[in-house]
Amino acid sequence: MIINVENLIKSYDGHTALDGLSFSVEEGDIFGFLGPNGAGKTTTIRILTAIIKADSGNVLINGHDVFKEPLAVKKIVNALPESNGYYEWMTAQEYLEFFSNLYDEKQSKQESGKLLVDVGLSGKENHLIRSYSRGMKQRLGIARALINKPKLLFLDEPTNGLDPKGRRDIHDLLITLSRKHGTTILFSTHLLDDVERLCNKIAIINYGKIVRTGELDKMKGQGTIEDMFFLSTKEGAL
Amino acid sequence: MKSAYIMQKEIRESILTPKGFLWYILTSIILSVLSYLFLTNSELSLLDQGEMLYLIMNFITALGVLIGLVFGADAFAGEMERGTLEALLISPVNKMEIALGKLGAALTNWGIILAISLPYLFVVGKRGQNLFIGIGYLAVLGTLLTIIFSAFSMGLSARIKSMKNSLIISFFLFLLVGSPIFLSTALRMTWFGKFLDLINPFADAINTFDSVVIDSQNFSYQAWRIAIICGYTLLSLWFLKRSVSKLEM
Repeated sequence: MIINVENLIKSYDGHTALDGLSFSVEEGDIFGFLGPNGAGKTTTIRILTAIIKADSGNVLINGHDVFKEPLAVKKIVNALPESNGYYEWMTAQEYLEFFSNLYDEKQSKQESGKLLVDVGLSGKENHLIRSYSRGMKQRLGIARALINKPKLLFLDEPTNGLDPKGRRDIHDLLITLSRKHGTTILFSTHLLDDVERLCNKIAIINYGKIVRTGELDKMKGQGTIEDMFFLSTKEGAL
Repeated sequence: MKSAYIMQKEIRESILTPKGFLWYILTSIILSVLSYLFLTNSELSLLDQGEMLYLIMNFITALGVLIGLVFGADAFAGEMERGTLEALLISPVNKMEIALGKLGAALTNWGIILAISLPYLFVVGKRGQNLFIGIGYLAVLGTLLTIIFSAFSMGLSARIKSMKNSLIISFFLFLLVGSPIFLSTALRMTWFGKFLDLINPFADAINTFDSVVIDSQNFSYQAWRIAIICGYTLLSLWFLKRSVSKLEM
């Protein structure tokens, strides 16, 4: 297991965001984390990337306890947050260079150039980020998230706000990443199309709890993902 | 070491930009006007050279502190509001390393302001006594005050997570510590005035400038004030460390 989450609880100002969340992800999976807005997806990703602490529960990432060894975890994971901002005054090349320095992964211009080619931004490396479209920024964000060659990549609603072509590009990129580098990907979304195209396993989260999880192919045999999603997340489904 | 990369980024973002240059051009203009008034205005030019130097040193210190407050307020809340903080926190960088990098940028800014001020200090204070020792005290105490106010404002920024609010609170604090300057001489001589001066790092700094530049008093007269300023420096760094360790998205 590359991710093992047990009984995670997190509250903010009296509001329970995660209420005994438990799930696991195996190495090489593309794991879809589905749920309506406010279900606890972003909070889970923030805990798993050691940005915030949980009130209680256990999280092991590749055998490291996320609460006791946050730096060890951060070295092997990376993430693209939901509303990722950019240093718009930098070029894409400078942006990657800045983050590679923070990871002790001093990248040559060639390496970061290759990363930009991989995400479809070749020829744009010296353009200021402020001139990028939303889709291009999202691809740059993914390039940044690959800077430390992570074993595990978290993507929080990576296709939000993208046009159909932008979404298709991101899908293709993630499939290539998973196949070429064996990167385990956990991505949160509420877009069922994303899940059907990309994932081999999913978990549906509602009110901070996993209400359904399993292999996508097996689940498809029990009905459409859409029906399953609505049944699992409607009021009182818990 | 990672702090150095953060500092480099901050310097490029806030100092080596048109906005940064504008600050420095404004600093030069204000200092030019002040110096011109000191040297030509019939009433102001009656001031002793030491007093002119002292006044301009106060102004430079206040300017450095003020810009340090802006740097501090932007440090975490600004990054959060622009959506760039999360990517920084995901990277394997200690939160305190991020804070130190940002503090380093605020100090670089202070260094630039001090460098811009030097010609004005020489012009205004060249015929007076204690010019060089005054500049030395300005460099040291200005640095400590920049650390105090930037670190405090940065700590607030990490706690409050709103750039506007942390800036407002920091600005009020600055007005509060600057207020003894507006007290009358008589009031400042009372125990209450003396107490206010004593516990106020900004007042300690300007009283030190007064003592060094105008009264030509030696270090032993300044030691206790400097000790208080050093105490505040440690306290502000402790506050920053506490605030940053609690920082959550």
